[in-house]
Parts: sequence; C-alpha cells; structure tokens
Amino acid sequence: MNALKTEYLGEPIWLLPQKGLYLPRRQTLLVADTHFGKAATFRSAGIPVPAGTTATDLSRLSDLLEATGATRLVVLGDFFHAAAGRVAGTMDAIATWIDEHRRLSVMIIRGNHDEQAGDPPNEWQCECLDEFVEPPFVYRHHPAPHEDGYPLCGHMHPSVYISDRHGPGLTAPCFWFTARCAVLPAFGGFTGRAAIQRDVGDRVFAVCADAVLEIPPSKGRLRNRSARSRR
Amino acid sequence: MIESRPLISIDHWLAERSWRPFDYQRRAWQAYRDGESGLVHAPTGTGKSYSIWLGVLDNWLATHSQRDCWPTKPEPIQLLWITPMRALANDLVGSLRAPVADLAMPWTVGIRTGDTSAAERKKQKARLPTALVTTPESMSLMLSYPDARERLGELQCVVVDEWHELLGTKRGVQTELGLARLRNWNPRLQTWGLSATLGNLEEAAQVLMGHRPGADRPCIVSGETPKEIQIRTILPVDIERFPWAGHLGVRLLDQVIAVIEQAKSTLLFTNTRSQTEIWFRALLAARPAWAAEIALHHGSLDRDVRSYVEGRLRDGTMRCVVCTSSLDLGVDFTPVDQVIQIGSPKGIARLLQRAGRSGHQPGAVSRVVCVPTHAFELVEYAAARSAAMRRQIEGRQPIELAMDVLAQQLVTIGIAGGFIADELLAEVRTTHAFRRLTDTQWQWVLDFVVRGGQSLRAYPEYSRLMPVDGRYVPVSQRVVRMHRMSIGTISSDASVQVKYLKGGRLGTVEESFLARLRPGDCFVFAGKTLELALVRDLTAYVRKSKKTSGTVPRWDGGRFPLSSQLAAAVREKFADARDGLFDDPEMKTVRPVLQLQNDWSQLPGPNDLLIENSKAREGHQVFVYPFEGRSVNEGLAMLLAYRIARNDPASITVTPNDYGFELLSSSSLEFDEPRWRKLLSTEDLLEDLLDCLNASELARRQFRDIARVAGLVFSGYPGAPKSTRQLQASSGLLYDVFCEYDAHNLLLDQARREVLTQQLESGRMFAALERISSMRLLLRFTPRLTPLSFPLWAARIQTSHLTTEKASTRIERMVKQLEKAAGDK
Repeated sequence: MNALKTEYLGEPIWLLPQKGLYLPRRQTLLVADTHFGKAATFRSAGIPVPAGTTATDLSRLSDLLEATGATRLVVLGDFFHAAAGRVAGTMDAIATWIDEHRRLSVMIIRGNHDEQAGDPPNEWQCECLDEFVEPPFVYRHHPAPHEDGYPLCGHMHPSVYISDRHGPGLTAPCFWFTARCAVLPAFGGFTGRAAIQRDVGDRVFAVCADAVLEIPPSKGRLRNRSARSRR
Repeated sequence: MIESRPLISIDHWLAERSWRPFDYQRRAWQAYRDGESGLVHAPTGTGKSYSIWLGVLDNWLATHSQRDCWPTKPEPIQLLWITPMRALANDLVGSLRAPVADLAMPWTVGIRTGDTSAAERKKQKARLPTALVTTPESMSLMLSYPDARERLGELQCVVVDEWHELLGTKRGVQTELGLARLRNWNPRLQTWGLSATLGNLEEAAQVLMGHRPGADRPCIVSGETPKEIQIRTILPVDIERFPWAGHLGVRLLDQVIAVIEQAKSTLLFTNTRSQTEIWFRALLAARPAWAAEIALHHGSLDRDVRSYVEGRLRDGTMRCVVCTSSLDLGVDFTPVDQVIQIGSPKGIARLLQRAGRSGHQPGAVSRVVCVPTHAFELVEYAAARSAAMRRQIEGRQPIELAMDVLAQQLVTIGIAGGFIADELLAEVRTTHAFRRLTDTQWQWVLDFVVRGGQSLRAYPEYSRLMPVDGRYVPVSQRVVRMHRMSIGTISSDASVQVKYLKGGRLGTVEESFLARLRPGDCFVFAGKTLELALVRDLTAYVRKSKKTSGTVPRWDGGRFPLSSQLAAAVREKFADARDGLFDDPEMKTVRPVLQLQNDWSQLPGPNDLLIENSKAREGHQVFVYPFEGRSVNEGLAMLLAYRIARNDPASITVTPNDYGFELLSSSSLEFDEPRWRKLLSTEDLLEDLLDCLNASELARRQFRDIARVAGLVFSGYPGAPKSTRQLQASSGLLYDVFCEYDAHNLLLDQARREVLTQQLESGRMFAALERISSMRLLLRFTPRLTPLSFPLWAARIQTSHLTTEKASTRIERMVKQLEKAAGDK
C-alpha cells in the first residue's frame, strides 16, 4: 500500500490512495462522503445508471481496513445519498459487508445528505453522531473551524488542478489541509468533485491512481488563473 | 375599400403595396397550390418567408372566394412554422400577421416557444391559432401530450425555417422525428423547408421529406439572384513575417475605423464572443464619441440588450454593431450597407451569407470587407473569393442514428398515450436519420427506456416506460413530468447569470470561467469592465469597475474549422504562389511571407505533403501540413501520435490548426520516408482511431451532449424543487461509471461515433490519407520556425503556459529573434 505518511499536530497521519485517512495511534480509518445508494437513487428516478458502484466501493473499503489494520471506521458524513437510494440491493450489500466486519466499530458522522436519507438501521450497530471530539481532532462533516480541535471534514469533494508544462494538465481528488481544517476526498466512486481555491500555506495531497502525492503551490497560480484558459 | 371587391387575392394585396413578387416566389406559390412539398432556397433577405406564407394564404383565398361566406370564427390550426431561434419568432409573427390583418382574413397567428407566457399557453390549450410559430423543442413538447393527434392531426402544412441551420444538428433530427409523426397522422401533409444556399440542396430537401414509400420527389425552388457580392480586404502596409493568431487584428484598427466611417451602418462580424468584446472596447477607446452609436451583440448577452440593438439596427440609427454568428440568421436589417469580417472566414457559404446581410435595397451591392488577424488569412480571403466566383459552396451533412435523440422521442411518444413498438419503428424508419436503423439497434433503444440497458441485472429499480398489453406507457406521473422538463436537444453548458448588485441583467458567462475568478477580480463583459462582487445561486453579482482592463471571458463553442472546400481553395492559392502567380491583391501582400517559407523550408504545392522537423527546447517537434481544416488535422495528429507512441512509448502533445499540426515529444520524431508512409497509411484506420479515442478525452467530452439528450443528466428548470439536486451528476462522472460497469452501452458507442464522424470527420480523414498516399513527401529539417510552423508553435505556448502575459512576452521575444535572423540572411 502506497500510503503517504506525514504528521499533523504531533499526530502521525497516513494518506491512502483509496481515499482514506488513517490515524495509526488510534487505529482509526476515516473516509468521507461515501454516498451509498446514489446510483440507485438515479435509477429509481428513471435515470439509467449501471449497478456495481456500491460493491466496488465496499471492496475498496475492505482493502483499506486490511492494509491499515484499523479497528475503527469513521465516516465523515453523507453516508447515504438519499432516502430513495435505500433500496433492497444496496442495503443488503452493506449489511453483508458489516456482517463480514463484525469486529470493526463503525461511527457515522451525519452530513447534509444523511438528514434527508436517515441513519442506518439499528441492526448495523453503527454509532451516529453530529460531530465527535477526539483531541487534537474533531470529526465533522462541514469544513469549518472548531474551538475544541482541528476538524477533519468531508462535504466538499475536493480536487486539485495539476498543470503540465508540455500539455493539458489534469484534475485529481485530493486531501486538503488548511489552517482552519482538513478536507478529505469523497470516497464514493459515483461522486462528483469540486476544484479547491488554494490559499498560501495550504497543503494539498493529490490522489493519483495508486499513490498520494503532495502538490506544491505553483507560482502565480493562486491568482490570475483565468488567463490560462484557451477555450 | 376591400369589402367592395368581389374577389380577394394576394395579388391585390401586393398591388396595393406596389410590391412585385420575385419569380421564384410565384413558383413556390404554384408548387404549394399543386400540393407539393419541397425546399425554397434563396439568399437571406429576399422574402423566403413570404414565398410560402403568401402561397398558403392565396390557396385558402382561392377556395374561399366569396367573402360573405367566410366563417366568423377564426379557422382551426392549419400550419406549423418551425424556427430554430426563439429570438426570431416574434419578428416572424409580425410579418406573418401583416397580410392576414390587411385582408381581414379569419386567421390567427400565434407563437409557442419556451418564452410563451402561461396565459397565452392556456389560451392555446383551449384553441390553437390558425398558424403557430414554434421551435423544434416546443413541437416535441406538444407531441408529448395525449391529445396531440386530436389537436395537430389536421395540419395542412409545416414550414421549417432556416433549415440549413437545423440540418446537421440533433435539433434537425428531432425535427425529422416530429415530422414523421405528423405525416403519419396526415399523409397529405405538405412540408416546406426554407434554406440559405447549400452545396447539397437535394440531400437537404430529402432529409426534410423523409423516406415514405411512394412519396413524390421534393420540389426545389431556387431564388438565387445574380446579386453582386464584393469581397475586399484591408491590406496591412507592413506585413509581419511571423503571423500568429490575434496579432495583426488590432493593428488594423485605424483602417477599420476609416471603413466604418465611410458607411452609414456596419455589421462587424468576429468569429468568437471574446473577440466581439475585444473589438468593441478597441473601437470605443479610439472613438469615444461613438458611444451612443455602436453596440455589441452576441449570444451570451441578455435578451433585452439584444432586442434593443436589433431594433436600432432596423431603424438605421446604429453606426456599427460588433457581433458574432448571433446575427447570421433571420430578420433583415435593411439599413445595413456594409459588413466587416474579422479573421478567418472559415467557409465560403458563411462569408457569402455574412456579406449578404448588407445591401438589401434592390440593386444594391453586398459588400464585405475582410480584416486579417494573421498573414495567412490573406490567402484565405483570396481563396474564398475565387471559390465563391466558381460557386463552390459547402454542404451540411445530416446526422444519422442519433440514439440519444431516438431514446428521447420514444419517451415523448410513450408519455403521449403510449405506442406499439412495430408501429413506431415503421414511423421512425421513414426519417432520413433512422432509415437504416437495424432491428438490434431498435431493440436496444426499447430496452434502454424500459430497463436501462440490455442486461436485466445492470439496472435494478430503473424504468421509464413499461409494456402494458403491448403498449409502452410511462411507469409514473413523475416520469412524465421529468421528461417534459428536459425535452430538448441543445446542450447548454452550466451558465451563470451576470447581474448588477443594484439590479439589472447583463447576460450569462460559463461557470468554468467564473470558477477561476474571485470576488474583487475584474472581467470584461457586454463592453464593460465589471468587478465581481459575489456569486450566489448561479448568479454572479457585479458592479461597474473604473479599471480599464480585465480578463475577457472565453466561451465554449464557436470554434469552426476551415471547411474542406475552403481548405482546398487555399491549397490552390499556395500552388499558384509556387508557380509565381500572385494575381489577387491579398496574395501580392502576403508574398514576402510565402517567399520566406520557400527560402527556409518549402512552399508545398497541391501534390506535396510538407513535413518540417526541428528541435525545440521542450523536446523534438515535427510539423505536418495536410491543409485539411482544424478538425481533420486534429484527427490526423491524434492518429499519428497514437501510431508513433504505440511502437515506442512516449507522451506526445498535439496542437492542430486549420493548416496542419504539431507533434511534440520527448523522444525523436525524425523518421525516414517509408516510416512516414506507414504512419500515414489508411490501413486499420478505424481500429486505430477507436483505440486512440479510448486513450484520449475526446469521447468523454462528446458524451456530455448525449447524456443530456438521453435523459441521463437531469438539468431541472429554474425554481426546481430541491429534491432534484440529488439527481445531479456530471456527464464525465456518468461516462466513467458507464465505461466501468456497462461498457457495451450504445450511448458510449454513439459518443465514439460522433467524435469519429463529426468531430474528427473520419470520412474526410480517410479521403485525406488517400490523397496523401499519392502525394510527394517533402521532409525538411528546419533550424528555425518557419512562417507556417510559427502559428502552431505559438498556439502550443498559449495552451501549456499558465498566463498569457508570459506567453505573449515570450512570443514577442521570439518574433524579434526570428526577424533578426531573417534580416541577417
């Protein structure tokens, strides 16, 4: 596993290309914005999105647990996409997965989608909270500063544009550490992305296929990016 | 007094206004009276609309000769008039109403577009007007109601206005499908298309008529008048040796102003919306006194702004309007006496049509003054004039097998009371677009709307239509509502409204442009420098800025490639130049540049393919010049890059323009002739193209339109409830999901096919490679950039560097170096 190992506030942190953040001292794996049931939500509204995304996401989550040896999983919000996506196929797949990971403790931080979609069924024995303080960190969904610690958040689906001197650049999902909080990339395979507006001092780690790479700030890119566009 | 006359006819109406109809108009009336269908083609502004409309009225008058017997109530709907632009509909209704009102006929003329008010819609629900002006989208929407047959089954005639604009687009396919339905209800329905001049008129007419067994051949009425068109060029006094896009243009400002001053009213056409903003500002800066007499007009400006400008053009109170193709179409601005074209004409028909916007008074000459933005455009003008004199005009290729549009039509008919599969298949196959639809493809579309795709397992929970006793009907009212909301085939990018903080709309910019700005940044829009205050709910609030500069937005689209006819004409001009023939003033002016090309490398003749190799700081570069227009050149470049990298892994950057393309690679691109021949062969062309599509972003980009039309991307509507937000996904994301989980989806196939046939124009590519196979290869090693390669190099610098300031500084420096080298020679 090509984890990028770094440190923040004295705590070791692993950033994994499967879009998870691991805190080895707490044996805790964090992921954000799984959006389970999103494809099903589309299908039940008459938009044909193929099935298979949930299974792939769950197996990637298993890989992460296996690679890190985590005993606790924290989902930083938007666990479910919408109430309409809680169809039998999706629910069964997740229930089976939970069954297979009986020893894992699962904590779900509620996000804006969860408000409408609802908490998982009680049988799954997930702990559902609005936020959770575990110094020096706070686990929450919305990226905003918190007085009790440094928040690790989701919600934004951050991505970063990486330029290439010899051709068009590319956009990759990223971990984004700002002075106020850190934002994790969206975990779900069927989720969109939003470009970040980088500030001086921010650290950005792009998820590229099977590695996580730190992206240094590029000169003159913080402002005046508009001049770049050609089409 | 009209009442005193026993007989009323259109001739009387015309005589009263002392109008003499053109011969072709009389021929069109006769053809209409004979029950025929067909196509009328004539230059803009010669009364195409009246050629059919007066025929329709005349026909009615002939069968209702006794005025006393006229019904007191207006006649029921007889005619549908389809126009591609909502903006044109109001003007059109005005001119259609004039003769009806003058003759006090019991006819009404109404309008039904996306802009029609709820009150008007309600009135129409009770009773449709005798003639209804509408758009392809609104026609589809009407067909989606269960009472459509009852209401439209008795139509006598459908007129499709500006058919040349719809042909070759998916809206054209949508129109074909709608017409097939109407003809199915009334086999004697007459269809008439109105079109500007096209190279493939017969085909255009056939597409409109469809392929009903036993139908008559379409009747083609030509209104071509030998109108004099003058194409003149502003010649730069000091021809720069190294042209690059956008450089010469503003230098010619003084001459352009002089030309504007000579005329009463000028339309100044540019090729992009960004260019209109730049030119408008340049004119205003040079002539502040013109502030009240010049204006901007492009598709992203607010409707009210555009209407105001159009009104003043008609009144003749505008000195100059800077515009894009937004003024290519429709209503006539008789007072316009001159047209200026900035930059490449891109096509012969296009240049002629723009020229035709001036000189509408009888006997007047249409004048277009061309303004080059780089030196080779001088060659293009000379080539366009020669081709126009020989009447070599481009055609428009109709689209075939657009599965996304077909899927949409199936749901449209499904929610209008359902359909029986075999019956609808027969109907669909009468259209030109789907005449070759196979049973397998048909089954796939049915499966797509019923269960999402071929495999039963892939799409649980999904359905839009379901079969009930052999009829396909919608599964729920929600499906019906959502489909009606998203009917339409024009894909529009996510656009953001631009409004003043104090109120007042200015227009729209693309979301991607705005995403790069922060509050406080300035940009140029609608001829003003604006400061971004805040962005909220897809609206950008701005205030006027005192600064004089700002970023000019770039809008997607509008990057037309050079047409193949014009590209061929340009090749001929090069051949002439090589033989020492410099007849046109443009060619005389550009001569030193061509001379330099010949000295440093070679000027390719019609039977030569020039390939220039040189070494750049960034790596190895090669320039190839097939002169095939941008899209074909891009396709050839991709193909070559793929074939080179397949044997020998490398990453290659491709930059095409209308003349040729550059390949840039970290490894050597110096090949001998046999290797080039192999790279340029037609063998395995399609397989290789498909492979390189998968290795590139092209198909993914094309999927955007398809996803929208097929109902995968639900764009909602203004004020849509929040619940629809959960259904928003970008087409790129959907593309990835489809590739991973349903790779054989026909919509993916379609995306690839559209890239091949429309974007890269694989047919033209094949023809180009065939042509190249019999050509002489001129392999040249050039120590410095040549006049032909410089624009390609400059375009690459513009893309790969992050700011244009840097790029332009660098380019200026390079220009100086190169000019020095030329002087030292």
